[in-house]
Amino acid sequence: MTDELELKFDALAVGAFKSVGRPVARREDLRLITGKGRFTDDFNEPGQVVAVLVRSPYPHARINRIDSDTAKQMPGVLAIYTGEDCRADGLGIISHSPVPSTRSDLKLTAPGGGAIFEGPHALLPVDKARHVGEGIAMVVAESHRQALDAAEHVRVDYEPLPWVADSAVAIRDGAPTVWDEVPNNVCVDTRFGDTAATDAAFASAAHVIEMEFPIQRVTATPLEPRAALGQYDEASGRYTLNAGSNGAVTHKRQIAGALNVDPENIRVLCFDVGGNFGTKNRVYVEFGLVLWAARKIGRPVKFLATRSESFLSDYQGRDLLTRVELALDADGTFLAYRASNLSNVGARIVSLSPLGKGAPLVTGSYRIPAAEVRAWAAFTTTTPTQAYRSSGRPEVIHALERIIDTAAHRLGFDPIALRRKNLVSSEEMPYTNAFGITYDSGDYIKSMDIALRLADWDGFEARALAVRERGLRLGRGFANYVESSIGAPRERVDMTISPAGRVEVVVGTQPTGQGHETSFAQVTADLLGIDANAVDIVYGDTDIVAEGGGSHSGRSMRHASTAIYGAIEKLKVYAIELAADVWGIETQAIGYGDGRFVETGGARRFDWFELAALEAERAGGGDQRGLRISHSHEMHTPVFPNGCAACEVEVDTETGFVRITKYVAVDDVGRVINPLIVDGQTHGSIATGAGQALWEQCYTDPDSGQPLSGSFMDYGIPRADEMPSFITAFNEVPSPTNPLGVKSGGEGPTTAALAVIINAIVDALRDLGVDDIPMPATPFQVWQSIRDAQG
Amino acid sequence: MYPFEYVRPASVEEAIGLRRADAGAQWLAGGMTLLPSMKLRLAAPSQLIDLTDVEGLDEWSIGDEHIVLGSMSSHRRVAEADEVRTRIQALSTVAAGIGDPQVRNRGTLGGSIANNDPAADYPAALLGLGATIRTSQREISADEFFKDFFETVLEDDELVVAVSFPVPRRAAYLKFRTPGSRYALVGVMVAETRDGVRVAVTGAGPGVYRATQLETALAEDFRPEALVGLDMSPDGLNADMHGSPEYRAHLTGVLARRATAQAIACEN
Ligand SMILES: Cc1cc2nc3c(=O)[nH]c(=O)nc-3n(C[C@H](O)[C@H](O)[C@H](O)COP(=O)(O)OP(=O)(O)OC[C@H]3O[C@@H](n4cnc5c(N)ncnc54)[C@H](O)[C@@H]3O)c2cc1C
Repeated sequence: MTDELELKFDALAVGAFKSVGRPVARREDLRLITGKGRFTDDFNEPGQVVAVLVRSPYPHARINRIDSDTAKQMPGVLAIYTGEDCRADGLGIISHSPVPSTRSDLKLTAPGGGAIFEGPHALLPVDKARHVGEGIAMVVAESHRQALDAAEHVRVDYEPLPWVADSAVAIRDGAPTVWDEVPNNVCVDTRFGDTAATDAAFASAAHVIEMEFPIQRVTATPLEPRAALGQYDEASGRYTLNAGSNGAVTHKRQIAGALNVDPENIRVLCFDVGGNFGTKNRVYVEFGLVLWAARKIGRPVKFLATRSESFLSDYQGRDLLTRVELALDADGTFLAYRASNLSNVGARIVSLSPLGKGAPLVTGSYRIPAAEVRAWAAFTTTTPTQAYRSSGRPEVIHALERIIDTAAHRLGFDPIALRRKNLVSSEEMPYTNAFGITYDSGDYIKSMDIALRLADWDGFEARALAVRERGLRLGRGFANYVESSIGAPRERVDMTISPAGRVEVVVGTQPTGQGHETSFAQVTADLLGIDANAVDIVYGDTDIVAEGGGSHSGRSMRHASTAIYGAIEKLKVYAIELAADVWGIETQAIGYGDGRFVETGGARRFDWFELAALEAERAGGGDQRGLRISHSHEMHTPVFPNGCAACEVEVDTETGFVRITKYVAVDDVGRVINPLIVDGQTHGSIATGAGQALWEQCYTDPDSGQPLSGSFMDYGIPRADEMPSFITAFNEVPSPTNPLGVKSGGEGPTTAALAVIINAIVDALRDLGVDDIPMPATPFQVWQSIRDAQG
Repeated sequence: MYPFEYVRPASVEEAIGLRRADAGAQWLAGGMTLLPSMKLRLAAPSQLIDLTDVEGLDEWSIGDEHIVLGSMSSHRRVAEADEVRTRIQALSTVAAGIGDPQVRNRGTLGGSIANNDPAADYPAALLGLGATIRTSQREISADEFFKDFFETVLEDDELVVAVSFPVPRRAAYLKFRTPGSRYALVGVMVAETRDGVRVAVTGAGPGVYRATQLETALAEDFRPEALVGLDMSPDGLNADMHGSPEYRAHLTGVLARRATAQAIACEN
């Protein structure tokens, strides 16, 4: 049964909470730091064999022939599979459902409207390789070494084709075509907003500022590379996959589609996941391949990506070319905004989330009455892109917060005053923006004031002088952000309260480091009025977890707490009926408070566990597990986490070296369930954004189309010693959309980080003539920008 | 990795004998370069001759004019040794700045110079300080030892035994790190030795080299001011995502100036 919950809650009174809101240490940490985690590669089965992929060395090449005769004869080799074998066996394609489709998503379409051509994702291609690192054949052997040896002897006759890595080049006339079905590579082209109103506002504006920002491609590099263990049980006809992801349930359905089997015949197991950041949200070809090979060979098959393979074939992030225009009147009031957002989807469409989520947020936290966005996308011969921490939002917030800074300086406004003047105020909440998207709640101006105070914004000049004396320059930056948290709308909880005094909560979200076992237990315990240590959170096995949307888009805490709340409300009604029956009184004569059911005016009382014991007893020979409830809900209303960041950077203009010396983040994540966990998320989230601003880049050689940042030697991942000690604060405005008032943490700080850091660097260099710096602002880039500005 | 044999000789003679008997064999020192290349299947030695137990390779001899460090000295040992710091602080700086603690615990002086990575630090230290490399066959000056790009004059069966560093009057090493790898994008050793001023540059070109233009200027006037306005030529320098030849040339000048100032400041 699905309940569409009443959307207007009075957020639960703060006094009701004992554990929620406290910095409870994560209960999963002891297990994880003592090597007791259950990551995919920790699972091994008797008779297990190893799969290795033969990957394309070309960005674009026709596959004329694959000769594996020699390789098949090599020691330990069990099988070598190609795209033709998949086709002959009737395998399907991975249906990624890439188009965001909740009720609040803007509907992306193909150019001219209509269905989007996604570029079918077969487990192995038969026609062409479309990016370096695409799997072309799979070798299965007794040992990893034997599989690698044989893979070196699989001869693929490639016919190299012209390649294109850059979306701006891919849309030009005469660019190489990635899919014959879409000759000009433009697979999505949709406009949103009110063109006439926007044009009119621009026509009447006193000032128009225009800028273009390439938001470079990055990759998530989770500590645990992707891995898969496939098994097939001949007797039952069932497949079992161990694979780390953001939610086993979705993967189960999509893998079933790729194998052309009934989803009920697939079991997906996913316990601990060593980092995700979006890259593990989507199904990989190896997941289907190990299952299929396990059936064909009759033995369990394991795949474990190397770091090198991960750099080439993990779904990557960002890669948006955004051109924006801001119209202002003479006193600095924002009048209108235009954006053209061109997404590089790579070789095929795995997800349009980055494009779709960014488009309606291009106007960010500001009151901009008229706006228009063109959201379009191009195929290129690169690894597909996918949602990456705060999918789509840092891109558009970067453009907005950069253009506001630029406008302030070109037109002579104070950048803070210009922001303050145009920010949506708390009185205007809920606020509907120019794209019809309603921001649920927030107090943006208060967040800004908190951040300015924590950053000692006004004390900047003195600090800057001191830094100058050391031969360096100090710059300061500010950025506001609002982001959206939507995600799959359905979630389910199965709860059992046992006579033994334990509460089990089965839930369909999937932690990949966020501490759900702790925070969900805190919520459950407070809503039941019991101790959090009595609660066990269960996830990650599709035979137990029947439904669930997984963890993405900041949905987990909000959906899980809402489902837990709904389950407990239902259970209370049942428990009161049970107590009334036992005591032989009317239900109205029973009150509930603080975990106890009490006879009004009488002495009799039950707690949850006593009722569970009664329930078990009454079941007789039946189900003696205690009080049980299942609850599913659907929640389509998005929430809008928001906040801001301020930072200072020291720049060495001689070398281009940048050091972040101060970083303040103020975030409204709605109700903070566990401030320790949210702070940890904030820290990581800032580092994610700082990495993109300063170092990270999936760099493609302009001469050969080869990805050159293929290892940590060239890919600049942020490190702890490069970060200052963060100053963080919450501006907790509970969301009215769900009972706990949850918004979301963990992605907001990334959203602001790109812009705030680049704003600060540009501030430090403005009098040298620098008014923008492309990301990543590596020392080389900063030096080059200064040099270019000096002419 | 491909399969290989593993042996652990006890003497230089034995190690050389093993190497001569197998053309595909390689010495294994700290393994911090060789093992990752083997794991990536970029190197496939038939045999690893582990030098850990070879007698004499970790011996030091410390004098006032020279310090001699055995080839198996780990970066960590060199970085932490007082007898190195008090005589050639720039050398401690070099060793302390290599990689991370794990790499410094395993990686060795001999391995680093034999490998001659174009961005490695020790080659700049040896060339800048005018060191002499003692091998199982001969003594080679640093000026002759390093060739281009991962190449040295070492014969296949020639083992680095030790390196002798003359104690300079003053010296300093500065490296500007590449984001990501943290290897030198450019590293500069500036030294005023008993035989004159030497400036060695790593990271900027296809191999370590001496910046004679800077040496000449500093020989006349060993002050950072002497280098102001010197335009370094980008010709032949590396171009990649981390820096253009012009940027590397520019950094060379900046680092040389700063290193000179530091050498003067650290003078004891
Ligand atoms: C993560 C990481 C970061 C690093 N960062 C830096 C850095 O910042 N700066 C830097 O300079 N280096 C860096 N290195 C390299 C490091 O210094 C290596 O230790 C060094 O380059 C090789 O020394 P090794 O003892 O490990 O040699 P091995 O890897 O054991 O050997 C390297 C080569 O030298 C040969 N060889 C070894 N010993 C001898 C000998 N006595 N005589 C003749 N040939 C010999 C071997 O046969 C092999 O071909 C880094 C390495 C890693 C893994």
